[in-house]
Amino acid sequence: MEFIDALVTSWPTLVKGLSVTLSLTALTLTFSVILGAIIVALKMSKVKAFSAFATAYLAIVRGVPLIALLFVIYFGIVSIVKVDAFTAAAIGLSVHSSAYVAEIFRSGISSVHNGQIEASRSLGMTRVATMSRVVAPQALRVVVPALVNQAIISLKDSAVASFITVDELFMSAQRLSAATFQPLTYYAIVSIYYLAIVGAMTYLSGRVERYFAKRG
Amino acid sequence: MTSATTPVNPATPTGSTPTLPRVSIQGAVKKFGDTTVLDGIDLQVKAGEVAVLIGPSGAGKSTLLRCINGLERLTAGSVDIDGVRLEYRESSLNRMREHVGMVFQSFNLFPHLTALENITMAQISVSKRSKVEARDRAATLLARVGLADKAGSYPSALSGGQQQRVAIARALAMTPKLMLFDEPTSALDPELVGEVLQVMRELADEGMTMVVVTHEMRFARQVADHVVLLADGGIVEEGPPEKVLDAPESARARTFLNQIADD
Repeated sequence: MEFIDALVTSWPTLVKGLSVTLSLTALTLTFSVILGAIIVALKMSKVKAFSAFATAYLAIVRGVPLIALLFVIYFGIVSIVKVDAFTAAAIGLSVHSSAYVAEIFRSGISSVHNGQIEASRSLGMTRVATMSRVVAPQALRVVVPALVNQAIISLKDSAVASFITVDELFMSAQRLSAATFQPLTYYAIVSIYYLAIVGAMTYLSGRVERYFAKRG
Repeated sequence: MTSATTPVNPATPTGSTPTLPRVSIQGAVKKFGDTTVLDGIDLQVKAGEVAVLIGPSGAGKSTLLRCINGLERLTAGSVDIDGVRLEYRESSLNRMREHVGMVFQSFNLFPHLTALENITMAQISVSKRSKVEARDRAATLLARVGLADKAGSYPSALSGGQQQRVAIARALAMTPKLMLFDEPTSALDPELVGEVLQVMRELADEGMTMVVVTHEMRFARQVADHVVLLADGGIVEEGPPEKVLDAPESARARTFLNQIADD
């Protein structure tokens, strides 16, 4: 029962890594929602320069592998201002995720029937009020489950931060495996950690979906 | 249905010149790409008048109606409401729309809000009424359209006829001086048409200025002061219902009226 031993003894190390992974994921989710909202607003703007900027942003972010984006941001930012690896990872993951979040927002907005917008506008509601009181609440039922899914992806993506020396969950497992020469054991253990958290988030996602389904 | 005790048409033009029409459309042209939908329409609707737009599908009836509150932009020509020229700037559109109600074929109630909330939202957001004031007014209007007991219901729990009556109440809550109806009964099961037409009839009796696109010829005959028959983007016949519906002058009008008489 060596594996069980390893599972137990690695707990203190891995749980520290886990807390870094979770805060990285939380930051990514928060900032990618903010960035994604800005990008989708720019994309839908009538000002051509704004929508062109958003289009370019989406093309670049989606066209570059996450790890390349992370390296460019890490080494790029470090050369200008001194930031730690964690901050650089949070920025990189947020930028990467924001492109997908923007797409989630866009599909949420377009899921709302145009007649809803016309009804609101014909009552004299402004464009902004129409968006916040009519479109957004209805888009949420499409957006929220997709956002939970995106959070799951971000959690798994955050393992890439180990490449720029962030001491997160995967890095902790890497270190344990190097110290003990038991890579299979510790990579299996760390996979169990990821699985457990993804399992919890999937459960949450199901609950959220049912909640929105009930509200008709 | 309900007694007409609550006046909903406060906008009797006391201060304005009595000769000024409520709606004046001049030389209205609307093109979608290469297709001309409205080809130079002139139309006037006086305050307190009910104008009914009829005509074959594709005639431009709905487009004309939607041009009155700026949901569609005219390619050329102008719309004046109480002598104020319709402009497409956001702020002037909002100001105009606050007092021009619109009722849609597909109701377009807000599905995430209860019947009551559907009626209070714009009152609070646009008319800056207090929540209490808005709720009182919404409750009164719901009672008026015979749905006092449905205040807490979501649209998905209401029949089509009930939804459309809530939609009418929602528009009336803004104290409109003009109501636009875009085929308000076309999406309804036949047995539900009557309850919606009844509400509209009461509204007309109270002196609300209305422009109605409809296929309900009986409603046109009984309620309209002014029937406008559109075909191919132009007005082919207009006047009082007995003239347009019973003694049309043009061959185009006769063809259309014969077609619908066969139904």
